[in-house]
Amino acid sequence: MSAVRNPTDWKSEAMRKRIAGRYAAERRFKFAGLFAVVLSASFLAFLLITMMGNGLRGFTRTEIALKVDFPASPLLIDPNAITDEALNNANLPMVTGEVAKKALGDKADALLSPTAWISIRDAIKADPKILSRTETINVPASTGLDLAAKSQGSPEMEAAVTRLKQQGVLSTGFNWNFLSASDGTDPTQVGIWGAFKGSLLTMLVTLILSFPVGVATALYLEEYARKSWWTDIIEVSINNLAAVPSIIFGLLGLSIFLNLAHLPRSAALVGGLTLALMTMPVIVIAGRNAIKSVPPSIRDAALGIGASPVQVVFQHVLPLALPGILTGTIIGMARALGETAPLLMIGMRAFIATPPGGITDPATVLPVQIFLWSDEVSRGFVEKTSAAIIVLLAFLLAMNGLAIYLRNKFETRW
Amino acid sequence: MTGPAILLLLAGLGAIAWVSARARALRLQTAARATGRRDAVHSLPGYHGWYVALWTLVPAILFLVVWSNVAPGLVTQSVLADPAAQSLPADAFSRSAILGEARAIASGSQAGAFNPLSQALVEPYRTALDTYGIAGAVLALVLAFAGGAYAFTRVRPDFRARTRVERLVMATLLVASLIAIITTVGIVASLLWESFRFFSMVNPIDFLFGTKWSPQSAAMGYGNDDAFGAVPLFWGTIFIGAIIAMIVAIPLGLMSAIYLTQYASPTVRRWMKPTLEMLAGVPTVVYGYFAALTIAPALRDFAVSIGIHGASSESALAAGLVMGVMIIPFVSSMADDSIAAVPQSMRDGSLAMGATTSETIRKVLIPAALPGVVGGVLLAVSRAIGETMIVVMAAGLAANLTANPFASVTTVTTQIVQLLTGDQEFDSAKTLAAFALGLVLFIVTLLLNIVALRVVKKYREAYE
Repeated sequence: MSAVRNPTDWKSEAMRKRIAGRYAAERRFKFAGLFAVVLSASFLAFLLITMMGNGLRGFTRTEIALKVDFPASPLLIDPNAITDEALNNANLPMVTGEVAKKALGDKADALLSPTAWISIRDAIKADPKILSRTETINVPASTGLDLAAKSQGSPEMEAAVTRLKQQGVLSTGFNWNFLSASDGTDPTQVGIWGAFKGSLLTMLVTLILSFPVGVATALYLEEYARKSWWTDIIEVSINNLAAVPSIIFGLLGLSIFLNLAHLPRSAALVGGLTLALMTMPVIVIAGRNAIKSVPPSIRDAALGIGASPVQVVFQHVLPLALPGILTGTIIGMARALGETAPLLMIGMRAFIATPPGGITDPATVLPVQIFLWSDEVSRGFVEKTSAAIIVLLAFLLAMNGLAIYLRNKFETRW
Repeated sequence: MTGPAILLLLAGLGAIAWVSARARALRLQTAARATGRRDAVHSLPGYHGWYVALWTLVPAILFLVVWSNVAPGLVTQSVLADPAAQSLPADAFSRSAILGEARAIASGSQAGAFNPLSQALVEPYRTALDTYGIAGAVLALVLAFAGGAYAFTRVRPDFRARTRVERLVMATLLVASLIAIITTVGIVASLLWESFRFFSMVNPIDFLFGTKWSPQSAAMGYGNDDAFGAVPLFWGTIFIGAIIAMIVAIPLGLMSAIYLTQYASPTVRRWMKPTLEMLAGVPTVVYGYFAALTIAPALRDFAVSIGIHGASSESALAAGLVMGVMIIPFVSSMADDSIAAVPQSMRDGSLAMGATTSETIRKVLIPAALPGVVGGVLLAVSRAIGETMIVVMAAGLAANLTANPFASVTTVTTQIVQLLTGDQEFDSAKTLAAFALGLVLFIVTLLLNIVALRVVKKYREAYE
């Protein structure tokens, strides 16, 4: 005998409260979800804005227009024999200091970048005739003055900025040097070109090694290999490699490529090899998915008119799967471009002031350069680090954008 | 003769082989067709071209690879046989230094000699390099001609060139797929080998269960006995990667996935999903810099203002928070997948019974999707404990066994970087310890991944 159950009285106070409570819980839950999304997105926005705020200043630099009276200066150089060696022996740093003191007062040392003389040297090199006249040359300001001009400096530097502005010798311009120079010890002179070139060379090695191998592996596993314990092992290794922490690849590169094979340390070649082993599984997995999505009817049709299995794959399946494979490759390369830890293991954290000429020269890459600059105590490096991060992020964004564009353009629904 | 020149020459020969063999096959094909027997020709002319070109190139290149490994030894031998080599010191190290310098000068990569002995050896070196270089080039060219000629004589209408070429293509594909296995074996072997050397110096029990980590004091000669206790590192790794990061990532990731799959309009979803995925695409060095520069000082000031002692500018909390944010997309996309895999009928059933959407999600969808979510979380943990740059830059170096999130702790990956970026001598326990740590990291992440993939896979099959 079941108990008789009265119909629910939806109008009762208790029931109405209960329903109101359930709807409130529903709203709270929905709001919590929205909150999570907004919080995550705003963290990203906060990160990007912070980097932009710090980094955009890194692309500009403050310059002081220095009036140099060449004939009157104690410069030990013959205007008719300007060579690199003569310029290096011409005592330029001291002369620059003297000139600055005369023009800007006794504390000029603190106002001028320690490498300001390089601008004067370059000016002489470009036009030796200026040695016979007085010329105004723009030289980089010191880090302290530079920061003060961007209203971040100490009070006395702020005062110096106001004074120099009244004299009309202070100017701020785009820092071309940041794009064309390499690492250095003086934050006013450093640039990213060396690291950028190192990144390009490393990526080139990575691409040349990982793309053919990755595509070949994907083709073999997806098209030809019969299911056996052997292909299982290959498959399991690839999936494992895709999940191994990147620093382990660094350890592998260190013990195999450097200690066993004696390849040059901190070279783009070894960095590329290490990153290629890391990128290959990504390409294989993306490639297999792309190949899998080519419908069997295409293979059957080609086989039906007498093509061999190799012809089917290379003349029909591969061209159709290529956009998908390329998308995966670009994403894998983007990951490799941002990778730092394995490259630290193979010695890419050395101080390298000249851009690498080839893949066996000592090189550094953008993320490692960022890491190295982040350790610098000099305050001027903060904005340089952030500026380098902006360049890196811009490249990653461009690569990911290209991947999305390719996917949208070539996406085929069978 | 230099390497690039030989390769260029070989490439030229290969091209000639391809063109001539193809032309010959074409002629034979035309001739065979003229007799009215179309089926007499097996392969397309292009395949004959490839067959001959491959016979020209492959043996010669294989020979060059072998030769470039053998030749340096032969060159050194012939230099040592030279009378000028009699005056070399007996000490193996200075001997090889002098030989190396002489070789650098002889091959033009170094301008002058520091050691007069090596100057004397430059001439013999140059002769020997020339001799063996020319010998190698001649042998390679002879092989190329012989291979090409042999293959060329086999160009006949009924010759199955395509089968042969395709067999090579298949072999290449197989070899490519072996690289994954070789890499895995290489990782395991190098980690095991170096760890074995480490454990011959330090007791594994002390390493795994010791609580004092100070490799620097061991390197300075205070003995290895209790300097390599890795428990503080394991704790730091778990504290940052599995506790703090997950406290951030699981609620945010799960709630984001729920909102985006269940509540958000298609437009919002289309924009927010890639935005969240961008969090995973930001390089970790950028997160590390952000954590060290912005988050960590803010947290320290906050800790000091509420009166916590021992607040450090490098804190577990800063690294863990930022790492948690980095992990959000992993958790949310795994949760997204597993919620989407719950059959629509279960959701509809719950809604039809009068449950609100949030009740359906909490009481039906989440329990049903739980294995997938758990699998995703395990993958995220594995990812977090293998993460390097954030903890290197923001977590600190002091091996503390503390539960205070504002204190500085160190992790396995941080210590690997620390141990291997100083002075490098590969027979000290200090550097080898990095490989032992790497081995532990490798095993733990591997186990986590295997378990996670099992869980996810098993659950997926339940609804099919």
